[in-house]
Amino acid sequence: MNIEKVAVIGAGVMGASIAAHFANAGIPVDLLDVVPKQSVNRNAIAEGAIAKLLKAEPQAFMHPNNARLLTPGNIEDDLGKLTQADWVIEAVVENPAIKQALYQQLAAVCRPDTLVSSNTSTLPLSLLTRNQPDSFKRRFLITHFFNPPRYMRLLELVAQPEFDAGLLNTITTFADIKLGKGCVLCNDTPGFIANRIGTFWIQSALLEAIAMNLTVEQCDAAMSLFGIPKTGVFGLLDLVGLDLMPHILASFKQTLPPDDHLSAIAVVPPLLHNMITGGYTGRKGQGGFYRLQSGAGHTVKEAMDLQSGEYRPGEKFQIKDVSHQPDDLRTFLTGSDALNRYTWRVLSGTLHYTAGLIPEIAADIVAVDTAMRLGYNWRYGPFELLDHLGVDWFVEQLTREQRSVPGLLATRHDLYRVDKAELQFRDKSDRYHPLQRQEGVLLLSDVKRRGPPLLENASASLWDIGDGIVCLEFHSKMNTLDPDNLGLIQQSIETVKQGYKGLVIYNEGEHFSTGVNLTLLVPAIIQQDRETIKSIVRLGQQTYRALKYAPFPVVGAPSGLALGGGCEILLHCDAIQAHAELYTGLVEVGVGLVPGWGGCKELLRRWQAFPKRPGGPMPFIAKTFEIIGLAKVSQSAQEARELLFLSKNDDITMNKNRLLADAKARALALVADYQPPEPAVYALPGASAQAALEIAARNLFLAGKASAYDLEISRQLAQVLSGGGTDITRLLTEQDILDLELEAILTLVQQPGTLARLEHTLKTGKPLRN
Amino acid sequence: MKNVVIAGYARSPFTPVHKGALAGVRPDDLAAQVVKALVHKSGINPDDIEDLILGCAFPEGEQGLNLARLVVHLAQLPVSIAGATVNRFCGSSMQAIHMAAGAIQMNAGDAFICAGVESMSRVPMGGFNMLPHPELYRNYPQAYIGMGETAENLALKYHISRTEQESFSLDSQRKAYTAQQRGLLSDEIIPIATPSGERIDRDGCLRPESTAEAMAELKPAFLANGSVTAATSSPLTDGAAAVLVCSEAYADAHGLAKLARIKSIAVSACLPEIMGIGPVAATQKALRRAGLSLTDIDIVELNEAFAAQSLAVLKELPIAPEKLNLDGGAIALGHPLGATGARITGKAASLLKRENKQFALATQCIGGGQGIATILEAVS
Repeated sequence: MNIEKVAVIGAGVMGASIAAHFANAGIPVDLLDVVPKQSVNRNAIAEGAIAKLLKAEPQAFMHPNNARLLTPGNIEDDLGKLTQADWVIEAVVENPAIKQALYQQLAAVCRPDTLVSSNTSTLPLSLLTRNQPDSFKRRFLITHFFNPPRYMRLLELVAQPEFDAGLLNTITTFADIKLGKGCVLCNDTPGFIANRIGTFWIQSALLEAIAMNLTVEQCDAAMSLFGIPKTGVFGLLDLVGLDLMPHILASFKQTLPPDDHLSAIAVVPPLLHNMITGGYTGRKGQGGFYRLQSGAGHTVKEAMDLQSGEYRPGEKFQIKDVSHQPDDLRTFLTGSDALNRYTWRVLSGTLHYTAGLIPEIAADIVAVDTAMRLGYNWRYGPFELLDHLGVDWFVEQLTREQRSVPGLLATRHDLYRVDKAELQFRDKSDRYHPLQRQEGVLLLSDVKRRGPPLLENASASLWDIGDGIVCLEFHSKMNTLDPDNLGLIQQSIETVKQGYKGLVIYNEGEHFSTGVNLTLLVPAIIQQDRETIKSIVRLGQQTYRALKYAPFPVVGAPSGLALGGGCEILLHCDAIQAHAELYTGLVEVGVGLVPGWGGCKELLRRWQAFPKRPGGPMPFIAKTFEIIGLAKVSQSAQEARELLFLSKNDDITMNKNRLLADAKARALALVADYQPPEPAVYALPGASAQAALEIAARNLFLAGKASAYDLEISRQLAQVLSGGGTDITRLLTEQDILDLELEAILTLVQQPGTLARLEHTLKTGKPLRN
Repeated sequence: MKNVVIAGYARSPFTPVHKGALAGVRPDDLAAQVVKALVHKSGINPDDIEDLILGCAFPEGEQGLNLARLVVHLAQLPVSIAGATVNRFCGSSMQAIHMAAGAIQMNAGDAFICAGVESMSRVPMGGFNMLPHPELYRNYPQAYIGMGETAENLALKYHISRTEQESFSLDSQRKAYTAQQRGLLSDEIIPIATPSGERIDRDGCLRPESTAEAMAELKPAFLANGSVTAATSSPLTDGAAAVLVCSEAYADAHGLAKLARIKSIAVSACLPEIMGIGPVAATQKALRRAGLSLTDIDIVELNEAFAAQSLAVLKELPIAPEKLNLDGGAIALGHPLGATGARITGKAASLLKRENKQFALATQCIGGGQGIATILEAVS
C-alpha cells in the first residue's frame, strides 16, 4: 500500500504540527477537529490551527505553500473523507474513553486496509485497543511523534504482535524516507523509551539541583559537557512547558510499579508547583527557569533562583578546561565540588536506571540510544555515553559507592565494538550482534571504520565511498573553510581524475559549513595586508572554479547551515542533494564583505538564466542584490530552491541518514557522458543599474531598515552585480565578475566598518549593525 | 472654439495589490473591460470614436507596447479607432483627457475615449527595469526621489503632524465607507470578470475598521523617524478608469448624456522633492484660465497620494471640507497610478451633476515634481 493521503484527527499543537510535516513531505492531509460550540464556522478549530501553523516558531512548514495541502474539516461532517485516507492519525486529548469511542467510529468508516494510529505519549497500546476487534488491532498502532514534529527525528512505534507485518514495513519505510524519521520499535511500557528515560533525567536533575543549591546555569552548562544540547534540563523544561510535568509525573506514578526508580522520584517539587500556578510555565507563559525581560533599549536574560523562587539577573557560566574527551569527563564526574557531585548523581542515576530497562522497554540498546539521540537531541545515547566514559570505569564508581550494578553492565564489557570494520552492539547475554543499517543508508562514520582516508589534513579528508565515488569531508571547527580545506579540494580533484568517477561533498557534522574561517582574514585586515587578502580571495575563487570545471560530476550534499563560502561551494557543484533541513545563504554582508569566492557570479548566473523571472536587464540583478544584500538564509531546502540556491534539477532528501547514499547515486547518474558546464556570460547594464540599486538601498536606509554601513556595503555589492563600468552592449565573462568581487572586497577591507563587523562576529558570534 | 464635455465615466473596482481580487487580471484586460462597458453605457456609436488615449505610469510588461491600441482590440471596438498610450505618471489619464480636449478644439476629432490603467500587482511601481541615468542621479538625485520621502518633506515644510495626517485619513475612510454603504459608488463601477470566473464589483481597499488608536500604532513607512505611515498613504492598487470626452455639439447631436463641460486645464512643475505640492500651481493656472477664483469652486477632487501631501496643498489652497472628496479619496479608495486622473475627473463631473453644482476642480500631484488640474462646469 502506498500512503498518498492522510487524515489527522485532533488539531491541537501536536496534531496540527504532524499534519504540517506530512504536508512538508508533499502529502495532502485532512485535518479534523470537533465542531466548536457557539461558532457558525464548523471548521473553525482546524482552520485556526492552520493559521497558527503559518506563524509558528520554529516554522512548522518548510514552505508556506505547503499549508495548501492541509484541508480543514470537522469530525461531524467530514468523517466520510476518511474513506480516502491511507493513514489516519489520532491526536486527540489523552482520554482513553474519548479515544476508544473515536476508534469505534473510525472502524466503521475507514477502508479495511487503512492504517490507524494514535499519537498518544502516555496511554498504553493495550488500553487503547481494549474491546477492539482483531481486525482493528491488525492495523492499529501507536506512532509517537516528538515536538516539534518537523525537527525532531524520532518516531516511536508501538505495535501489538498481531499487527500486520506488511503494514509495519509500509509505515516505517514511509516515515523513514518521506518524513525523514528514525523509527524505533518500543515495547508497550509507560512512556515508551525516550520519555521514560528523559523524564527520569529531567526529574532527577531538577530535584538534585534544588537539593544541592545549584544555579540553573551551572546545571545546564554541566549537562552540555556530555553531549546534551545547550538548553540542558532547565532550558528544555522552558521549551516544552513546565505545566506538562505534573501530568507526566502523575501518569508515570499511576502506571509504573511503585519500586520503579522513576515512580519513586515522580513528585512535583513546591518550586515547580508555585511557578506553574503563577503562570511561569516556560516560553509559552510569563517565563520559566529563564526569561527575557525588556530593559531600557535592550533585553535582559534572567534566571530563576531555585531556592527563593525569584528571578535574578542571568549569569554567564562556563566550565573551563573540560573537553568532551573521556579522561576530562571522568575527572569532572569524580570531582568534589557540588557541581561535580551533582552531575555524577544525575548522570549516573540516569545511566544506571536506563541500563536496568533492557529488555523491558526495548529489544536492544540500539533502540534506546537511537531514541535519545533523535528524541532528545543527545549527541550520545545513554549506552554510547557509557562506552565513551568506559563501562568498566562506570561500574567501578558504582561499586565504590556500594550501588547495585545493572545486569547488562556486570561483565564490564563495552556495549559497542568494532569487529572487522563492522559496528556491533552487545546484548544482556554478552553476545555481540552486527548493527544493521537500513537499505539505502550510507554513513561516513561506517565508511571510516573500513580504512584510512585517501587524503587528509587538519580541516578535511577524502574518503572512498565505493563504486568509483569519493566523499570530501570537512571537519574543521564548525566546518569553516581555510587554506587546508581548499588545498584538499584541489588535491581531491587530481585524485578523482586519476581513478574515480565523481565527487560528493558531505559531512556528518551538525552543519555543512559556516563559511570562511574569519580568523584568517582579521589579522591581514588589521595590518592592511592587501596581498594576503587578495591571495585568500583568489585561492577560493580558483579552487571553486576548478571544482566547477573538473572533468567529473561534483555533488554537494549539505545539511544544516551552509553559509557564505559554504553556500558558494554548493553553487559551484553540478548538482545538490540537500537535506530537507538546509539553512543556506550568502551572508557575507553581515561581516562587512560581499561574497568573494564566486557567490555573486553564480547566484547572478542562476537568476539571469531563471526562465520565470521578469524580462529585461534589471530584475535578475535586483533579485540577486536583494538576496545577498539582505543576507537571506533559507529556512529549509524547499525555500533554498525558491532562492535558487538549489536549482530545479537538485533533489531533497528528508532523512539525513540517507543523504550520502542519495548524493552518491546522484553523482553516479551524472557520470555517463559527463561534460563540464559551459562558462556563463553576463549582459549587465553597468552604472545605470548601480544607480537603481543604490536608490533601493537608500530607501531602505531612510526607512531605518538598513544601517549606514549596510549602505556602503550595498554600494560595493551593486558595483559587482551591475558589472562595474561595463555597458549593456558588452558581454562579461565569469572572470570579469570574479575580478569585481575581489575589487569590492579590497575596497571594503580598507574601511573600519568591515573590521568592526568581523571582530564583533568573532567575539560574539552575532552580526554587528554599524 | 468648440466646447468639450465629459459624456460618460466608468471605472473598475479598485482593489489592493497582490491579495486583492483584481491581482490576477491582466491590466490590458482590466482596461478593456472598463472601456467596453463605458462605450456601451454611454450609447456612443463606436465608429465615431477618433482615438483611445490611455494613461499608464509604468507602461512595460503586460502594460507595455502601445497598450491603448491593444485595448481597442481587446474591447472589441472598431479597428478604425486609433490608440495612444501616454505617461505623465499619476497624471497620465488626466493628461489623456487634456489631449482629447485639445484635439477636439483643433477639430481633430469629435469623440475620444480617455482611459487609464495600472496593475501595481503585475507591474511594480518603478517598473521591472528601472535604469536611472547615473550622472543625473549623482548630480541631481531628487530626480529619482521616492514618493514617501516627498510626503515627509511636505510634512516637515508645512508642520503637518502625524495626528493631523491620521485624522485626515480617517475622514477619507469614513467618507468612502459611507458612500459605499449608500451605493454612491455603484453607478461608476463596472463589474470585472476575473480569469477564475469571479465577478468583482466592489472596491477592496477601504479600511472601515480603521481607528485613530490603531493608526497611531503603525511604524513610519518611509523614514525611520518620519510621520507618514501606511495608513496615511494611498495603498498600492489595481484598477482602471475611463471617461468619454467629446465635443458638446457631437454630444447634443447624438443625444449623449453630458456630465460636465471642460472649462480649463493646466499642468505645472515644482521641485521633485516636494512633488506633492504640484496641485497648487496647476490649480492656480487653471483657475486663471477659467477666470475663476478658488471660492467659485463647488466640488473638489484632490487626489490623496498622501495625507501629508493633501494637507500641504490645502494650506496653500484653502478648500472647505464640505467641498472636498465627497465620496472619499485615494487613501481609502486606492490609487492605481495611471487610472486615477480619469477617476477623479470623471468623479468630479458626476458630482457636479449629482450635487447640482456649478464648478468642479480635479487636481493631482505627479511624481518627479508636477501638478495637473482640470476645471469643469455644469452643463444645463
